[in-house]
Amino acid sequence: MAINTYESVVIINAALEDPQVEQTVASIHENIKANGGEITDSEDWGRKRLAYAIQNAKSGYYYITRFNGSPSMITEFERILRLDENVIRYMTIALDKKALEYLKNAKKGQPESDEETGVQEESKKEVSNE
Amino acid sequence: MKNKKARRVIDEYIDYKDGKKLQKFISDQGKIIPRRITGLSAKQHRELVRAIKRARQVAILPFVSEAVK
Repeated sequence: MAINTYESVVIINAALEDPQVEQTVASIHENIKANGGEITDSEDWGRKRLAYAIQNAKSGYYYITRFNGSPSMITEFERILRLDENVIRYMTIALDKKALEYLKNAKKGQPESDEETGVQEESKKEVSNE
Repeated sequence: MKNKKARRVIDEYIDYKDGKKLQKFISDQGKIIPRRITGLSAKQHRELVRAIKRARQVAILPFVSEAVK
């Protein structure tokens, strides 16, 4: 069976207390492991404003996990997320080669953030010139 | 007057989690800006569209901006 790298964004109800959020995060990890996935990386964005209200919530706790696993485990993984009432939104995508390369570089060159913002500003100008 | 098209505005992978970067490619209504204005290549535009649609799913970008609602 093929092994893919997946990235899963989970939005947890921000109204919960920190221990409950941690518990939910732990249950996500457990869920992945129980289904035969191997967690490679995770990001904790914390509480963020949502671009639109989900279930009347204006903000959510973002948690992003990357893991290796087989395509068949995703169904079960998402089924469990759907049952979890603390999770208000989730999305799992398969990462392609390009994405993996990008993530690898982003991890290596994190101190380069100054340079990156310079590029962003430049391109912004170009767009507004139109 | 003909403005020079902005070429290669982005040349690396377009990440759907980078809301700030994607913001520049949506109008103030929240619509995706057409390729003829951004000057992206067809391939880049496809990738951009995919990234924006993913970002919308996880509430990083709005489907309809707050101003229009």
